[in-house]
This record gives sequence, structure tokens and C-alpha cells, in this order.
Amino acid sequence: MSLAPLLATIKGWPISAAVRGDLPGTEWLFPIIETLHVIALATVLGTIVMVDLRLLGIASRESAVSQLSREILPWTWTAWCAAAVFGTLMFMSNATAYAGNLQFRLKFVCMGLAALNMLSFHFGPYRRVALWDSGEPPPSAKLAGALSLALWIGVVFFGRWTGFTMT
Amino acid sequence: MLRPFADWLDKTPLSQALQNHLWIIPTSQSIHIVAVSVLFASACVINLRLLGVGRGGRSVSTLSATLVPWMWRALAVLLCTGAIQIIAEPVRQFVTPAFWAKMTMIVIVATMTYLYARSLRRNAPLWDTPATRPASAKFFAVISTLLWLGIIACGRFIGYTWSFYA
Repeated sequence: MSLAPLLATIKGWPISAAVRGDLPGTEWLFPIIETLHVIALATVLGTIVMVDLRLLGIASRESAVSQLSREILPWTWTAWCAAAVFGTLMFMSNATAYAGNLQFRLKFVCMGLAALNMLSFHFGPYRRVALWDSGEPPPSAKLAGALSLALWIGVVFFGRWTGFTMT
Repeated sequence: MLRPFADWLDKTPLSQALQNHLWIIPTSQSIHIVAVSVLFASACVINLRLLGVGRGGRSVSTLSATLVPWMWRALAVLLCTGAIQIIAEPVRQFVTPAFWAKMTMIVIVATMTYLYARSLRRNAPLWDTPATRPASAKFFAVISTLLWLGIIACGRFIGYTWSFYA
């Protein structure tokens, strides 16, 4: 089954045309949505960096990992949902081109790997967090922190490159 | 006066070298986004605490002692990558009001943050108790958050508006 007709249908919706700026009065909608997307992603990335640096034992060592996670990660998830909504709107505006764009696809490969890394951390070293909560994280937790940092920076890189390669 | 300078800079060998490597500008912009993310999220975490939003946890002074040094490191990265983007595309930056608004806001917010961090270091117990915290704390928190939002928005809008002025 080909996705092409579905993508073309999505692109044809009035809301997609509005985000694209094709309807009267919507010329500035795309830049505004993109700005909101950047604000949301900055919150996602900045808060993830805080937790990752703690897992690496580099920053916030005065906080227990579990406490830092409770303090910070609700903001990460809230902002991620906002970024996903604005990102989906931008995708809809040119669904066929985004779906075929290599950098856009690589961005989602990075995000998928980041999700797997998060799951393996949560069901792996984090289950024994009580043993290392306030001290130096074990190598497996440090690896998860390093991978998370690298993958999320990859998400930003490929996201920014997408804007340069869309025609 | 700015335009001739921008045109001159645009023709320099350094600017030409940056322009001739297509990967440099997107890479620099990506690092720029990572840096602003660290700054923005750190500022928001501190400002929300000053406003009394969010769950307990670390005191304002502990939070700031951890985050403010990372904010200065991120600011250094932000300014370096920003300089690369100015040298590579000087006309685009110097003719655009959004660029100058962004520069003005970054100077104000950096100064505010420096003064805030200095005051906090000197009077940590005063700042840690909501009852004795200076009344200006909430004002600082709101203005700083708005300035960072403005900086990000102007940064994005340089790309959308520069062609109107060039």
C-alpha cells in the first residue's frame, strides 16, 4: 500500500493550506508556528540536557537523579507535546515533500532511537536507582545519558537541515 | 554606514570561505539552537522557581549555583556560533531590525542575569525564603522569560524578514 495518496490528501486539507500561507491572511502562520516549535524544542532539549548531564555525573550532582527527574521531566513531556503539535502542523502543510525528505526521516530515526534508549534506561539501570541515586551513576546510566545527549542533538541537527533541503 | 560594512565583510576571504562550504551555516545554526536551548530551559527553571511555580526541590540558590555557570558556557557557544553566522551572512543580519532587537535583548538579559546571580551569591538565605525574597525577584523572572522568548522569536524571524530590507 502506498502512502502517497494519503499524504496528498493531508496536504490538500484547508488547515494545511492555511499553515502553508496559501489562504488569505495566513501569510505569517508558518513562521509563527515554526517559532512556537523552536520555543517548545528548546524547552525539550534544554531540560533533557540537564538530566543527561546529571546521569553523566557532570552537573547537578547536589540533586538525587530521581528527584531531578521528578522536578524536570514533567516540563520536558509538556513541551514535547507542544513541539509535536506544531511540528505536525508544519508537516501537514507539505506532507508529500517532508515524507520524502532524507533529513526529515533521519530526524525521526534519531527520535526513535532516543525513545528506545529512554525505555532501556527506565527498565534497566533506573530500576536500581536507589543504589546510586545521590552518587555517581553506574556506567550503564552514563552510557544512557551520553546516548540521549547525542541522539537529541542529532534530532536538532536533522531538523535544522530539513529546513535547508526542502524545496 | 552598516550596509557598506556588511557588503565589505561579505566580500572578505573569511566570509567567502564560510559561504562556500554549504554545511557550515546549518551546522552552526544547529549548535546555536542547542546553546539557546540550554540557556532558555535553565532560565525558565530558575524563573519558575522565583515565581513559586512547580514542585519543591532545590532552593533558588542551589538551583542557580548549578545552572548559572552552564548558562555562561552556553552563552559563549551562542556568541561564537552567532559570530560565524554574522561573518557568513553579514547583509542578512545587519539590515534586519529583528537582528538588532535580538542583540539589544541579549545584552539586557545577560546583564540582568549577571546582576541577579551576583545578588544571590551575596544574600543566598534572603533569596531562598519566599517571605524575605526581594520583591524584584518576580519582576526579574517575568522580564527574563519574556526576553528569552523574544530572542528566540527574533532569531527565527531574521530568516523570514531580512529580504524585505536587503
